Amino acid sequence: MIKYNQFQLANGLHVIHHFDDSTQLCVLNMLYNVGSKHENPDKTGFAHLFEHLMFGGSINIEEFDTVLQDASGDSNAFTSNDITNYYLTLPANNIETGFWLESDRMLSLDFSQESLDIQRNVVIEEFKERYLNQPYGDVWLKILPLAYKVHPYRWPTIGKEISHIENATLDDVKTFFKNFYCPNNAVLVLAGNLDLETCKILVSKWFAPIPSQNFVKTAYGKEPKQTEARTDTVYADVPLDMIVKAYHMPSRTDENYFAADMLTDILGAGKSSRFYVELVKNKNLFSELDAYISGDVEAGLLMIEGKLSKGVSMENAENAILSILEDFKHNSVREIELTKIKNKSETNIRFNDMTVLNKAMKLAYAWVLGDVELVNTEADSYLKVTETEIKNIANQILVPTNCSTLYYLSKQHDTK
Amino acid sequence: MTLNRKVSPDVVEIKSINIKEAQENILSNSIKLYTINASNEEVIKIDLIFDAGSNVQKFKSEANFTSKMLSEGTSKYSAAELAEKLDFYGAYFQTKNTTEEAIITLYCLNKHLYNCLPFIVEILTDSIFPVKDLDILKKNTIQNLKVNEERNSYLVRRIFNQAIFGENTLYGSYSNITDIESICQEQLTDFYKTHYQKGIKYILASGYINKETIKIINTNFGSNTFRVYDNIAYDYVAKYGTPADLYIEKSNSVQSAIRIGRGLFNRNHPDFREMQLLNLILGGYFGSRLMKNIREEKGLTYGIYSAIEAYPYDACWYIDTEMNNDLCETGIKEIYIELARLRDELIEEKELKTAKNYLLGSFLRSIDGPFSLADRFKILKDFDLKYQYFHEFIEIIKNTSAERLKELANLYFKEEDLTRVVVGAKKY
Repeated sequence: MIKYNQFQLANGLHVIHHFDDSTQLCVLNMLYNVGSKHENPDKTGFAHLFEHLMFGGSINIEEFDTVLQDASGDSNAFTSNDITNYYLTLPANNIETGFWLESDRMLSLDFSQESLDIQRNVVIEEFKERYLNQPYGDVWLKILPLAYKVHPYRWPTIGKEISHIENATLDDVKTFFKNFYCPNNAVLVLAGNLDLETCKILVSKWFAPIPSQNFVKTAYGKEPKQTEARTDTVYADVPLDMIVKAYHMPSRTDENYFAADMLTDILGAGKSSRFYVELVKNKNLFSELDAYISGDVEAGLLMIEGKLSKGVSMENAENAILSILEDFKHNSVREIELTKIKNKSETNIRFNDMTVLNKAMKLAYAWVLGDVELVNTEADSYLKVTETEIKNIANQILVPTNCSTLYYLSKQHDTK
Repeated sequence: MTLNRKVSPDVVEIKSINIKEAQENILSNSIKLYTINASNEEVIKIDLIFDAGSNVQKFKSEANFTSKMLSEGTSKYSAAELAEKLDFYGAYFQTKNTTEEAIITLYCLNKHLYNCLPFIVEILTDSIFPVKDLDILKKNTIQNLKVNEERNSYLVRRIFNQAIFGENTLYGSYSNITDIESICQEQLTDFYKTHYQKGIKYILASGYINKETIKIINTNFGSNTFRVYDNIAYDYVAKYGTPADLYIEKSNSVQSAIRIGRGLFNRNHPDFREMQLLNLILGGYFGSRLMKNIREEKGLTYGIYSAIEAYPYDACWYIDTEMNNDLCETGIKEIYIELARLRDELIEEKELKTAKNYLLGSFLRSIDGPFSLADRFKILKDFDLKYQYFHEFIEIIKNTSAERLKELANLYFKEEDLTRVVVGAKKY
């Protein structure tokens, strides 16, 4: 149970406070309700590039990091399809420095061509390091445009291609900031050893003077229902063949989301999962085989991803996966499996809620989903799922016409 | 009153720390159980520590495979049954094999502890290492090794460690495909009998702990089935190779992986904590010189850092980065310039103060929560230290001068002492 208070400033900034005096720390988490899905299709990777620029100094503070480090603090950020999230962790008695830093970069950034040039290079190197120079690193670059034809989830957060990042201009940066980095498009969470009263005073002191903005989020298309099986084949310099299957699944706020998540866990989570027991161990068709969900706010993907054991044909491997999926559609899951997954999700939630940073991020994300109380009802949502619901969702999702399959084949032909 | 955003709020420096210490409990059979009770959630993590690291193995991969195979079947249960029993209670079971130890870890909710621990007892008393499961593990390990060998970041680390510590030493030893293929069931059964069933070094429990928790642990591990075994010190002499320049060609790479460094002393050396500060200034945090110069000013890389890797008997220090093949030459030059600056110039007061404040803050974060506290305690055990070590850390960091750091840089950051490894498409 996470206890919290929430209030809103006149400028639209929503604030959530969570008190925890078992720690000497305090976390300041600022979530901007903008992600790569809000990007122009010809200028992708921008939300993430912008995240880098947020550390390059703001209107009154030249060096963001030095100020924070002087106050014994640390910070980082991440960008997803849906949101951009910034977090600062400080000793609780230095938390005001966090307010100073975070409010100043909401007020205005120190826009400079030099800073943009450098961060563009850094992000291009990141693109290469994580997506091009790793075995199987470009899987997401290949599978997303296969699964999505209309919705902006069709490009990854890093961007469609390097040229989009290369072409970003200072004007783009300014427009993006003006559009999305304003109090009425954000939620601020304070979690840790900071009492509510002090929190309110500091929030009002540092954030109330920042004006709200009129902004328009460009509407984007809804992904039409997929009606045909899609496949793509790539050859790469990797040692093992790989198969990736992506099925469209319900959004995070859909009532069937939890059943789909549990279905995925029964398939692929841990050493007693069906994939592991049947296909990795008993038949040894795969050296590894996972199932997971993309976890997006809007309708996302249920992913199945496996590396084939040497000598196994792609056809056999794929058929083996499909026969396990078929079983779900015709037979109910065993009661013991259902209890197992429910117990697992309870463990995951309890362990996750142990740090103030995790709690802060969870509160902010729940606000994005439209109801902060979701942080406390999540456990129940898993407990309530029934065998029938899992069977129904399997029949709804796990059909060939809802699936995009990527065959990622090895160019290497060694004898081992 | 208008708000003056030009002026920083008052900052309080960290003066001392409150660190919750582990409590020592003795089980009925004399095994020590250390507990750290520091959680509001009713969750628990239990580590069982064994003297079963790769330092005591006769053949490569023995220790690693034994620990990975512990839960692959007992005479009563198959691997899948064991996994399902523990998964049923929502528990997570992990084994970890280091150069000096094997660690078995259980994560679960306190309410399931009573039901979970008997399976750990089962695993520790009756593992049978089935041949079929072993063959699959061997095959999958070889396949994973092949994937890893495609990663420049993996290769650069392996080649560096081999060059620094020596290929046939504790810290420079790596298994190749032949080593893995030759592992057999008898070796694992032997290793299990000799190094797991000889006894438990100690148990460490962190999370939500009360009398009942300790009682459950004692019921399971306090009987005569188990006993204490803590080995006498391992005989190790560091034999560093001569500094070398190594280049491994990977012609299909977009970027090169670079590692530059040397062998170093570990936490038992008096200079260690001051070296942590010096390393931090060079490449240990976002505000470090390497990060500022090479990423934030020149945009040559996504990431560059330096680190001290300390083991119970040895240590190394290195700078690590990945950058475009064409940028390597510039990048490496800049790395050497930064090392020279530390040797030749005094660090300015402001930079030193920032680094000290950050390091003390990061120490404060590293003792937040029961599992972090357990990690800190583990460090003390690994290096045979007392909590005093951490309290002194605060004092030492606060008192380290710019002159002293320059002295250390001249002792330990000499260019001629460094080994350089580059894995990529272009020789530098």
